[in-house]
Amino acid sequence: MKTYHIRFYENRWIYYCISLAVVLVGLICNVIFGTRLDIQFTGGAVLSYSYSGEIETQKVERAVESSLGRDASVSVNKNVRSAESGQVSNNVTISLAGTNSITPADQTAVLKALNKAYPNEKFESLKMDSVNPSMGQSFFLKCIVAVLIAFLLLNLYIAARFRKIGGMAAGFFAIFALLHDVAMVYFTFIIFRMPLDDNFIAVVLTILGYSLNDTIVIYDRIRENRRLMGPKTPYRVLVNTSINQTFTRSINTAICTFLAIATVFVVGSVYQLNSVVAFALPMMVGVVTGCYSTVCIAGPLYVTWENHKLKKKSLADAGQARLAAPAKAAAGPAPSSQEAGASAPARPAPKKSAPRKKGKKRKR
Amino acid sequence: MKRVPRPVFFIVALLILFFTFTSIFGIKGKNGDNPVTYLKGVGDIRWGIDINGGVEATFTPATSQKATKQQMDSAESTIKQRLIGENITDYEVYTDYNHSRIIVRFPWKNDEKDFDPQKAISELSATAVVTFREGKEYTTQSTGADGNPVYKTPKGVTASSVILKGSDIVSATPQMTTNQTTGRAAYVVSLKLSDSGTKKFADATKRLKNQIISIWMDDVMISYPTVEEEITNGECQIDGGSQGFTAAEASSLANKINAGALPFKLTTTSYGVLSPVLGKSSLSAMKLAGIIAFCLVGLFMILFFRLPGVVAVISLLGQVGLSFAAVSGYFPFLNSFTLTLPGFAGIILSIGMGVDANIITATRIREELWTGKPLDSAISKGDQNSFSAIFDGNITVIIVAIILMLVFGPKNILSYWFGASTTGSIYSFGYTLLIGIIGNFLFGVLTTRLMTKSLSQFSFARSKWLYGGPSEKDKTALKGGAAV
Repeated sequence: MKTYHIRFYENRWIYYCISLAVVLVGLICNVIFGTRLDIQFTGGAVLSYSYSGEIETQKVERAVESSLGRDASVSVNKNVRSAESGQVSNNVTISLAGTNSITPADQTAVLKALNKAYPNEKFESLKMDSVNPSMGQSFFLKCIVAVLIAFLLLNLYIAARFRKIGGMAAGFFAIFALLHDVAMVYFTFIIFRMPLDDNFIAVVLTILGYSLNDTIVIYDRIRENRRLMGPKTPYRVLVNTSINQTFTRSINTAICTFLAIATVFVVGSVYQLNSVVAFALPMMVGVVTGCYSTVCIAGPLYVTWENHKLKKKSLADAGQARLAAPAKAAAGPAPSSQEAGASAPARPAPKKSAPRKKGKKRKR
Repeated sequence: MKRVPRPVFFIVALLILFFTFTSIFGIKGKNGDNPVTYLKGVGDIRWGIDINGGVEATFTPATSQKATKQQMDSAESTIKQRLIGENITDYEVYTDYNHSRIIVRFPWKNDEKDFDPQKAISELSATAVVTFREGKEYTTQSTGADGNPVYKTPKGVTASSVILKGSDIVSATPQMTTNQTTGRAAYVVSLKLSDSGTKKFADATKRLKNQIISIWMDDVMISYPTVEEEITNGECQIDGGSQGFTAAEASSLANKINAGALPFKLTTTSYGVLSPVLGKSSLSAMKLAGIIAFCLVGLFMILFFRLPGVVAVISLLGQVGLSFAAVSGYFPFLNSFTLTLPGFAGIILSIGMGVDANIITATRIREELWTGKPLDSAISKGDQNSFSAIFDGNITVIIVAIILMLVFGPKNILSYWFGASTTGSIYSFGYTLLIGIIGNFLFGVLTTRLMTKSLSQFSFARSKWLYGGPSEKDKTALKGGAAV
């Protein structure tokens, strides 16, 4: 069977640099573009119309401003093809300045003003949203609370689950990987200059669940391999082997999920369906980073941490309590102390001779 | 390992195909001239307003005081009454008493070309005019969205003779009484009139004894009780006639009558309108994306996992079928669920995520085969070892799916604190994600295993290569390697 032999721990600095680079680009974009919240969260109004022929954005802006007395910014999407009928139309989106909502009468007034300015361009209302600012703010708060609750619940799950498989340190790095994913999804919105909206919340929550799943599978393997490969195996080898063994599965699941959501993205872009693209693009990024953060970030960090702990311990052990090491070794699955006790007699795992062979074969 | 008989594969596969086929196309027949739907398919799915086009509006009372629950109920029943009167089916109305909000969603009417949503919103929130009129003469009769007849526009004496107006009514309350003759519980609506109303009503009931006084909201008749006696003290009861009211009918009528005397106007705080043009295009695009995604994932699975890949595709079909069945109302015990664009994307996403269970199991089986285990024990060992990983993965996604439904759903504990969401399309995504996970468990674990085990009993399916195990060539290479 084709087994991967990627040296994840040794390559860790490459991965860290990739992540840091993305974060850096994201931060720079964030400083330049700022964080935009959708009107769902801030309140405000956005109107979209289809039209035929040619229009000037400035003239449209003036028409809207004169009818409502509010500044407006206008963007035009040309040659939008309908996936249903194949008809092509031009769309114009008008965002009103400020966070106040508008009344149905206002919307009628805007359409009237547009038709007056362009009598032959056949403006037709496509979509319009008007959100009251206080409703928007409480919705925003609700979303934040929901993400926090999700994070808390997942942490509780991690705590319960990792007690068995890697201890608090592993749990901590699992959470770190989750934060990494949230950051990546956030920066996707920033870099592509999409306003944060309900899609952002949906993607963040989905990716939290999706990425954690990956992490748990890998740590589960680490625990299993600790038993199979014996306590003497260094963390570096243990974690690398475990990641490589689960790599087929991680990468295949990620490919399938990516294929599915990328199809949505491509079809959505072809037909210029903004709401579909705004959902699919960050989800695509999330699926990739969800897999990446686990394999390339959480695993190697965990090794670094355990090695660091060992170093400290061996320094401490060197000075005192020689008897302690063998005693602890006899206690069984307290891996850190075992490896630290390099002076302790080598203890092959007693039973399980067959799996041990397997472990050796893989190492070769 | 426990042997699974050979026919099991065909039984399970056929069942899945049948289920998926019916959940997509439904089963429809004809009873005389009426089409009858026995099982609902994709065509019966209730699409959200982002697909069908439609209106989403939030109304709040324009008052500095907090509206009481009863007042909000009245306002809600006014809106419902008008939606039914307009023959708008499939509307959703949620009332948030805590934040004094009424959220209304209704789709575009299919038959109406020049539907003016702005006008519809204004009309929905207009203050209700409730009148008590003489007789019950009406101009038009039609069938409302709830199946009951709708009588519209008073004429003749009913149009000219208005007995009471909404402001004459102090309160209308639903009450339970005991029928004197049958001894059964009966529901009535108790009216309390103002002083001016009492006088007007006494005169009218004296004049119109044993005749009908009809009650109207706006342009629609909501009740037409017969006067049984002269009412002089300004207090009376409307009973449901010979059939009697149900509790719901009584409170609905009381709410509507109260609406005529509401001390506030409703204003539109937030609203959204979507034209069906945009939505129809999105739906076609999503259908296309769904088909392509399924083919791509299926192809990948078959190329990479061979026989377990084929089994996975069959299971995946079942999972997709379940997703559609869960939203269309295919199962009698599951209500239909409004499917939005993100909801549809959720179904496609769970096609990708859903094969995870199959991938984990197939990868494990492959590993066991490469350690040299015979086929049967490799399969059962692979099944055993993969279960905890599959379970873990599903639990975390279930947690987030439920939270998604909590944030974006209409009525729940989070809405109690923060009020309803300004947008509801993600609610559907949470639901389809959740159903996808359940489907993943049901099909990706249960039916996949049954099918794989049963299939492995066939002689043509004994080759380890079909499961990703070493072929004969690999085996000799492996042996040679081991000998070195």
